[in-house]
Formats: sequence, C-alpha cells, structure tokens
Amino acid sequence: MLHQIQTDKLGPMGSAMSEAVSTCVHCGFCLAACPTYRELGQEMDSPRGRIVLMKEVLEGKLPWEEAQPHVDRCLGCLSCEPACPSGVPYRDLISPFRAVAQKHFKRPFADRLRRLLTRVTLPYPRRFRAAMQAGGWIKKIGLWSPRMLRPMLDLIPANLPAAQTWPEFTEGSGPRRARVGLLLGCAQQVLDPDINTATIEVLRRNGVDVVAPRTQGCCGGLAWHTGDLAAARKFARQQLDAFPADVDAILSNAAGCGSAMHEYALVLRGTPLEDKARCFGKRVKDVSSFLHELGLVPPKCSWPIRVAYHDACHLANAQGVRDEPRSLLRSIPGLELQEISGGEFCCGSAGSYNLDEPQVAQSLGASKARAIIDTRAEIVASGNIGCLAQIRMHLEQQGSAVPARHSMQVLRDAYRRESTG
Amino acid sequence: MASVVLQRLSTLIPAERILTRPAELASYESDGLTAFRARPDAIVVPETQEETIDIVRLCHELGIPFVARGSGTSLSGGSLPVANGIVIALNRLNRILHIDPTTRTAVVEPGVINTHVTQAASPFGLHYAPDPSSQSICTIGGNIAFNSGGAHCLKHGMTANHVLAIKAVLATGEVVEWGTGSREFIGPDWCGLFSGHEGLFGIALQITLQLLPKPDRFHTVLAGYQSLEQAGDAVAAIIASGLLPGAIEIMDALALEAAKAAVHADYPPGCEAVLIVELEGPREAVEVERTQLEAILSASRPVEMRPARDSAERLAIWKGRKSAFSAVGRLSPDFIVQDGVVPRRRLGEALRKIARMASESGIRVANVFHAGDGNLHPLILFDGRVPGALERAEQLAGRILKMCVEMGGSITGEHGIGMEKREFLPDMFSPAEIRLMERIHAAFDPKKISNPGKMFPAGTAPSLQLHGLHPLEKAGLASRE
Amino acid sequence: MSPTLTPSSVTELRDAILASARVSIEGARTKPALIASAGSSIGLRQLSGITEYDPEEFTFTALAGTPLREVIAALDSRNQRLPFDPMLVESGGTLGGAFASGLSGPGRHRHGGIRDFILGIRFMDGEGRLLRLGGKVVKNAAGFDVPKFFVGSLGCFGALVDLTFKVFPRPPAQLTLRFPTQHVEESVELITRLASSRWDCDALEIPTGARHVLARLAGPNRALNLMASDMGRALKREFTVEDPSIWAAMAEFAWSPPGHALAKVPLVPTSAVECAKVIGSLPTMQVHFSAACNVAFLSWADPTIHAALQTSLAQLGLEAMMLRGDPGGWCMGRRRVTQIEAAVKHAFDPLNRFPTLSR
Repeated sequence: MLHQIQTDKLGPMGSAMSEAVSTCVHCGFCLAACPTYRELGQEMDSPRGRIVLMKEVLEGKLPWEEAQPHVDRCLGCLSCEPACPSGVPYRDLISPFRAVAQKHFKRPFADRLRRLLTRVTLPYPRRFRAAMQAGGWIKKIGLWSPRMLRPMLDLIPANLPAAQTWPEFTEGSGPRRARVGLLLGCAQQVLDPDINTATIEVLRRNGVDVVAPRTQGCCGGLAWHTGDLAAARKFARQQLDAFPADVDAILSNAAGCGSAMHEYALVLRGTPLEDKARCFGKRVKDVSSFLHELGLVPPKCSWPIRVAYHDACHLANAQGVRDEPRSLLRSIPGLELQEISGGEFCCGSAGSYNLDEPQVAQSLGASKARAIIDTRAEIVASGNIGCLAQIRMHLEQQGSAVPARHSMQVLRDAYRRESTG
Repeated sequence: MASVVLQRLSTLIPAERILTRPAELASYESDGLTAFRARPDAIVVPETQEETIDIVRLCHELGIPFVARGSGTSLSGGSLPVANGIVIALNRLNRILHIDPTTRTAVVEPGVINTHVTQAASPFGLHYAPDPSSQSICTIGGNIAFNSGGAHCLKHGMTANHVLAIKAVLATGEVVEWGTGSREFIGPDWCGLFSGHEGLFGIALQITLQLLPKPDRFHTVLAGYQSLEQAGDAVAAIIASGLLPGAIEIMDALALEAAKAAVHADYPPGCEAVLIVELEGPREAVEVERTQLEAILSASRPVEMRPARDSAERLAIWKGRKSAFSAVGRLSPDFIVQDGVVPRRRLGEALRKIARMASESGIRVANVFHAGDGNLHPLILFDGRVPGALERAEQLAGRILKMCVEMGGSITGEHGIGMEKREFLPDMFSPAEIRLMERIHAAFDPKKISNPGKMFPAGTAPSLQLHGLHPLEKAGLASRE
Repeated sequence: MSPTLTPSSVTELRDAILASARVSIEGARTKPALIASAGSSIGLRQLSGITEYDPEEFTFTALAGTPLREVIAALDSRNQRLPFDPMLVESGGTLGGAFASGLSGPGRHRHGGIRDFILGIRFMDGEGRLLRLGGKVVKNAAGFDVPKFFVGSLGCFGALVDLTFKVFPRPPAQLTLRFPTQHVEESVELITRLASSRWDCDALEIPTGARHVLARLAGPNRALNLMASDMGRALKREFTVEDPSIWAAMAEFAWSPPGHALAKVPLVPTSAVECAKVIGSLPTMQVHFSAACNVAFLSWADPTIHAALQTSLAQLGLEAMMLRGDPGGWCMGRRRVTQIEAAVKHAFDPLNRFPTLSR
C-alpha cells in the first residue's frame, strides 16, 4: 500500500513499520484467519484494517486514541502472517507500533493499575508467587475484588504447586549428544514448575546436558508485545548476557518466550546490542524443534492414549513450529494424536490478552474448550504455559476434567512408564 | 452526515452498529483496488435481513447513496464507498440457513464466505463449484453482484450458473423473490440478470445455490515450459483433442517468482511459463483421459511435467496459483490487476503484444491467466511513490484493454467494470446499448442510490482519490455536521 | 395461421416491426401455446443460418430462425454439441424459439441449461434499433447480463436477430441404462441417489408411468461399461442397456400423443412424488420427470381437467408453461407479481410493441 509515513521521524523502529505497511496490498486474505474479525465482524478489528489504522496514525492523519481500541484488541497471534500472500511481516508492525504508542495511548486508572500489577509481579517468580497466593486467598475467602482483577483471579489455579528450583547444570545420561541452555521462564515457574522439571528430564534422557543459568530472568516477551519497550529492552539485555557461548542452542519450552527471544534484534534495533541480539536470536530454538532435529529417543513403553494437540500461536505462527511437536508425540507407541477443529484459531490467552480483553478472550477460550471436548481426547497437549492456563480454565468452566499438559510433560510421563511398566 | 439521517438509522439498528468514528470510516475506505479511496459518512452493519431491508428503504426514502460490501475484496473497486453516502456491511448476515442433500442446494445469506459453503456441503459429498482466488474470504453476496468466476469456470461456469433463487431488496425498497430452488424456471431469467448487476439494482438477502457432487477423482498436472508460446500451444492441443478439463491455467516467470516467495511453491527451474491442467470426473473416465492428456503434454515438449501424486500435492499446486495476485506484492509496492479476455487462440499474440507494450513503457507485467477461456490477468507492477508511475501504469492498462476489444474479446472476464473500467464501457457497447442498460438500471434504481458511480462512464478520471475534505469544504463553502 | 410477415433480412425485420403498433414473433410454431395472439405476427424462419462458427473457441453465432437441426448437425461434424439437448429438433424448432421459451432437454442435468450456454445476443427493440448485449467470447462480465435475462422471455422485450452460444466437446461415447422400478417413490429415490453420485450422469429421466429410470452416461468408451457395472453393483440393481434412439424420440415429446396439451413445470426434486400423486392422478394426465426431477413435463387430453390442474398446481406452489394446448393463457398455476417487472418491461419496450407476459 502507498503510504506517507515519515519513517525517519519514528526512530529505529520506523523502517520496520513502514516496510510492513508497504508490503500490504489490502487483499483481505488475512480476514479469514483473524480470530478478532471472526468474533467482532468489523474491518477495524482485522489485520488489514489495523494496518490501515496504524498507517494513518503514523502518517499523522488519525489521532492515536482513535486507533487504540482496535490495536489493543489485536491478539498478536500472527495467524494473519501465514494467510498473507504478500508476506506482510505483521509482527514487525504491531509490536513496534505498540512501543511507539505507549506514551500516546491513554488508559483508565483501573487498567493502568492492573497493567502495573502485572508488570511488577509476573516477570519475577517470587513476587508472582506471592501475588498468586494472595489472589488464591481472596478467591477462597470469597472476598470482594475489583472488577479489573477478576480475569487475573480466574486464572489462578485452585492449588498452586509447590515452589521449585532447578540445578544450574544437569548432565545428560549416556553419551553426550548436545549441550543446551534452558530458559526457565517466569510465570511458568510458578503456575506449573513441573514443565521445567519434565523438560530437563526429557533432555537428560536424550543425552543432552542442560545449563539453566541463575542469571537469567524474564524473556521480556510480555513487555515487548504490550508496548513496554523500556522493560523489554532491559529484560533482553539481561538475557543476552545470561547464556554461555558454549551451548549448542538456547532452548525455550514456552512458545511466547521463544518467539520473543527471536525478536530481540527488533527490540534492540538502533542500540549497540542489535547485532548481538540478532546472533542470540539465531541460537534460540523451541525444545520440540531441537529434540526433533536431534532425533528423539523414542519411549519404549506403549501408552494407548488419545491426545489432542493444540498449536500455540507463538509456536505455529510466530516460529513455524507445527510438525515437530506432533512428530515427538507420535513417537510414543500407541499414542493417538488428534487434531482440534478450528485449530488455527487462537485460544485467547495471547500473553496477557485474557487479562486486558476479557470478553474476546472468553469467547475464544470457550470455543477452544468446546473443540477440545469434541475430540474426546484424554489429554490436551501444547507447548505454551499461557495456552495451558487458559485452556485449563475454560475446560473447567465447561465441566471437563481433561488435563492440559505440556508436550514435555507427556513425553516425560511416557518415559516414566518404562520403569513402572 | 445529517443528524436526522443518523437519528433515523439509529431507530433501525443499535448505535454500536452505526460506525461514524474516524478510525471506522478510514477502515472501510477502500477494497481490493487501493488506487481508489473514498470516505463514506457512515458504515451500517445489519445482522438480519429485516434490518437490511429497513436500511435500504430508508435510503430510498431519504435519497441516501449506499454501497453494499461483503469482505471488500473487489479488484475493480466494486465496493468503493461513495462520499456522502453509507456503506452497508453485509458480513454479519453470514448464516448458512440450510443444506439440502436431496435437492443438492444450499440456502445462504449474502455474508457467507465462499469456501464455507463447500465446507458445509462437504459432509454430504457435495461442493460449491465457483472458486475465485479470494474464496477463503470473499462472500456469496459479492460473488453474485459481480458474477465471480475462478479457475474452474471453464467447465463449471461462473457464479450465475449456480444461483437458483434470490430474495433481494431492490433500490426501490421492493422485496422480490425470484426462482424456486429448481434448476429450471419460467419467464425471464431474473436471477441471471441480477448476477453481475455490480450492486446497481439492490442487495441480495437470501440465495439458493446449486451444489454439485464432489468430483470422484482429480488428475492435476503442472508442466514447465521454456516459453509462454509453447505453453499456449499445449493449451491449443488440449482443446483440439476434445478433452474438457476442469481448469487450465498459465503463470509466467514473474508470477512464478512471486508465488515461490509467497507460499514456497516449488516450480521446475528455468521455466518461463508453467501450465496447470486439471482433469476431474469419475475415476474410470479420468484414467482414460489422463493418458490422453499426458500424451498431449509430452508432445508439447515441456521442460518438466509433474503430475500431482496426492491431494496434498494438488492443493499445493492450487495454493501457488491462487496466491499469485497478492503475492506480486512481494515484487512491487503497488500493482494493478487486469482482467481482459481475448479469443483463446489469440492468447499468444496478446501476450506478445502486452510484453512489447510493457517494455516500451518500461513497466514490468506479470501474467496469470485462465488459458482455457482466454481470460488474462496481467499484473502491472509499479511504485506509487515515483511521480507519474500510477498514471503510466493506468495508461498501459488502458492500452491492454483496448487491445482486448480490438481482438474481439472483452474488457472484463470476471472482475466486472466497477470503478476501474467505467470509461471503457463505450468500447464494448454502442450509445444505444448503454442507454438501454441505463434504462434498465433506472427501473431498479430510479434515484440512483445503489452503488452509484459504478459501471457507467462518468466525467471524472479514474485515478482521482476521493478522500479527505470535499472541494466545497476546502473552499469553505460547505461543512459537515 | 401463417405469420403475416417473414422478413429475410435485418432491414426487412425493422420494417415489419415498425409497421404495426403491436407485433408478436414466432419461429417454427413448434410451441404454439407460446405464440401471442395480439398484434401482427412476424415469423423469423427466413432469418436463418450459422454466421460464425469457431470450434477452437467453443463458440458459434447463428440467426434466430436457424433450425436447431442445422445447428446440431454443424456442431456434430466438428465433434461438438450443445450439452443441454435442445428439444423439438426434428419438428423443426428454431434456435431463437428454444431460447425465447427457455426450453432445455435432459442434458441440462449435467452441465446446465440453455441459459448456461448463451454468451451474447443481438435483438431489435420496439423502435427498430439493433442492439448487441453480452459478447462473443466464453467469458465476459461487461454490462448487465441481458442475454440470460432473455431466456424464457417469450419475445416480450424484443425480436431476437442472432445468438452466440458456447459449446462443449461431444463426449466420445454415450451409454444409456434403464433401471426398472416399482413405483414413483422408488424412481425418485433412485434419481436422487444417482444425482449425488460419483458417476456424473449426463441425463437422469423418469419417463411416464414412473416404472423405470433412465440414466445416461457419457465419456470415454472404455470407461462407460466399467462405470455401468459399478453402478449396478453399488446400487444392487439390475439394468438393461437402452437404445440411444430413445433420446431423439424424447426430444420430440413423442410420448405425448398428438392433440394433447403439453406443459413444462419447474420442480424442486422433493416435490416430485407429490406432483406425481396429485397431478399425475388427474384423468388422461401423463407426467415425465426430466433433469433429475427438476422439471416435470405434463401431457393431457381432456380440457375439462384444466380447473383441477390449475388448483393442484397452485396448491403445490408450482407454475406451468404451456407448450401445446389452450387452457386460456400461456401459463397456469401460482404466479408471483412484482412491481419491478412492469418497470423493466418499460425500460426495454417503452412503446409496448411486443407482448406483455400477463397472467
């Protein structure tokens, strides 16, 4: 599309945004893939519409607050990218735009408070745990809570798992096949620490040494995807230094984190660390990709179980990882893998979206849960903590007891059957 | 927009479905033809047929121009809004009301997406045949208004050939029901006349579509050639043999480059043209025909011939072809998609002429076309940031269209006239014929409120961007509330 | 009654039209019920001949008065056909007459009817202007689809001068299968099953009496016998191979005795059984279901059943177009009237030179 964006006035992110706008030919193919267009049925809440709005704002033709509700409603799921024949890199527009927009978008006090709460707790496991416990008490006692906190409270599991830590170094069993760094995540450590335990176990069983540096922190994904550039950069810088050079890859077991780390070059564009960030990004892999490439040692024991696989948007759309987790799960003898109808549509978790846009998130989550129930699977597996939390909540809401498990947990459980079976 | 109009509209639909904010107006300014933009006064989003009828009747009463819009994918500016008018967005009238496997029909609302009809029919072993390349998002209402085609209309015809009944609200406010759901009818073919009316008669509210049994078997072959000429000769040989393939498509080198980049399509290296031929029918017949086809293709000396070995390979071939238009967005910031028709045997000549005209004007043109029926889609690539580039591209487009008419073809095979080709209508029809069409139009739309300014030639030049303040407003002589 | 005038050129046609305040057009009078009674009649039989035929382009143009048999013979010589099986060919029907009455035969089931193959027309309007709408190429989206609109318009908007059609290659072979059935329900069920089947039948008919179903297959010779055997196996039915000459007889409505009335009734297939029971039970009535029960052709002798027929048709929500016979109008049954039809008629024919489709 033709545009009149004054790229140089927009700082280092300017050219990424205007190039994305240029690539768009306004053909509309993205509307078919966009969950918010499906939900809301209006052009402003479609990728094509959002590109027009962001373009008009950057051209100075449209006030920031006019575009705000529609930009806020974007899930960042990137379903539009594979649907786009022109190859618009929508991710290079939405996150930079949100960063540039942060000082222009106005929010009501309650929203700002909620965002502040999220910002100061979520990336810090100890604080987050404390907040979860406090929230859990509020839920149990049935204390009144302000409306803006409810979506957060809904996501708190009934029983918070016990806190866990992991060794900085775990040696692979048998001949060493590789050595990797592992991102432990932040919210994941609190909500479901067993995912990390399972990941390390699976890697260990496959002869992989796992380095989990203590100096790592939050990957900054949430900050980056919600426009908090300063925080995103801070976390990215910390991460760049945390992992040693002598690992074959830096692994993530949370789709949102893996995809964020791939974007560090954009996060740090225009800073002296941009090149280092680019190199770092190239070393990041999702654990399922890595294991698939390495060649998974298949579990030996048969496990005749029906598993539905849910594609996390930040794994499938953002990283193009679809076949690898499926292939890993299929290597479990006897396992029947089930596709979920409407699988290409986001579950509504989208980072902290389910906190910021609860209505759309509720509708998407409910649809996803229904589709999962329809598969009659005994387990639903995915590669992202956000999705798992959202899916768990919605399955529960619909009275289903189907457990939502990380692919690594399923693999680890399959391995365990070898000793018990 | 006059507040009395807004007030009347708000008695028909809730305020949240009357869009008047700047961000809302900006989003609906354009469709698939971005050279044209116009800001409407409002967009109204009905959710029922009754609301739609009420809105149209109000427009008739107050003389408000309206433009119906499905997904806004028209390549001829068919859903370009009218300044000082409204857009009626039909995308929420998206219910598939009934699929009847006994009569092989589907009753749908206009906002239903083309592929969703086939998806709903699929469990019954049926499908909806018309397949425009935008079918993943374009709507049935839009397909009917422009009589959309697609790659498979060689054998199966266009949208009009699959419409059995229409309930519509005309621009006069009259609600009519034509057809019964039978494949036959008595009296003039009203559904046929309404198909391709380019939005000038009214809005379809409920449509009965014909469904066909899914073809038993496909045999799809992709063949690469060293020249467009050779590909064209292969097509002539196929036609002469008496075979009736479901589709025959050709893509040239530039289009192949775009498709490769877009969907990682895999084409034989070093080809100037790729031919796609698809046979369909009962397996026993396809078995015989495929041997025939392969003999014909081999004799045409392709660089490489690749029959699809399974459904996945077949879909990949089509994905490459169907992404071609938008995919050229990767080769060039802007482009014009054309839609001319020439007699099939003059395709080679037409392509040579286009290549010559293109190189004379220093403009790149990619070619994708329905080789089986002579329908060309030259994609004229340009960079709108370069001064004069749009005008030069449009001039080339005009020369190509005139060439099509001179060769005894048409200025549009399936995209319709819309906004884009109004000035060429007199090249196809005499003044008396255009006057007849104007009288027919006036019968349906005496107040000229239904998609006004489309199809018939007007005084304004095609590249005028109707956007921002009206000249009268700029001069301070008029203002809006 | 012979037509008053039979112009042999476009100029003569113009003179003939302008000579009277009201005119009506006719072809070979094979569908006498559709010839309007008011006004001077103009016969187009002398406006005859194929003016262009381009087999490579799959198109031909012929003057409106050209006999169908001539068109079919020309196409056949180049291994092409009009897939919809024009009717009343040997009886001498004209191309213009088939078009203006919208009459298609059994073949319309597979690829569509006459309306799906018209590309362009030239016609003369009530003021003597010769107008061309549509085009001459197989794909054309320019302008309103007036050619389709004229299908079935019975000469009410203008006098057809020439027509351009799309054609298809003639399939290498045909095979007609006859499946015996016990009653109409079974026949209709079999038709429904075949119509959604994989065998892509060329034609599906239930001849009068509804004691058997005819299924015509078309395609490569080698394939047809295999398909037929597979059909018998899958349907668990016996069948016999029918002589292809039945189609020529069917095209002439040979099953309807001379002097009997004949009408075409568009049908939604789910109404076929009711139609057979309610209408088929009227005295002397014969019903032939064509195009996979999308059309019922009715034939009857006794004029006193007209009232009962009218009532039954209206009750079933059906409309009938007369081809032969005179129940006091060219159509029977239910009729929807709209305001737009008068306005559009006026747009084409402001002087009201041509007949009006009144009910």
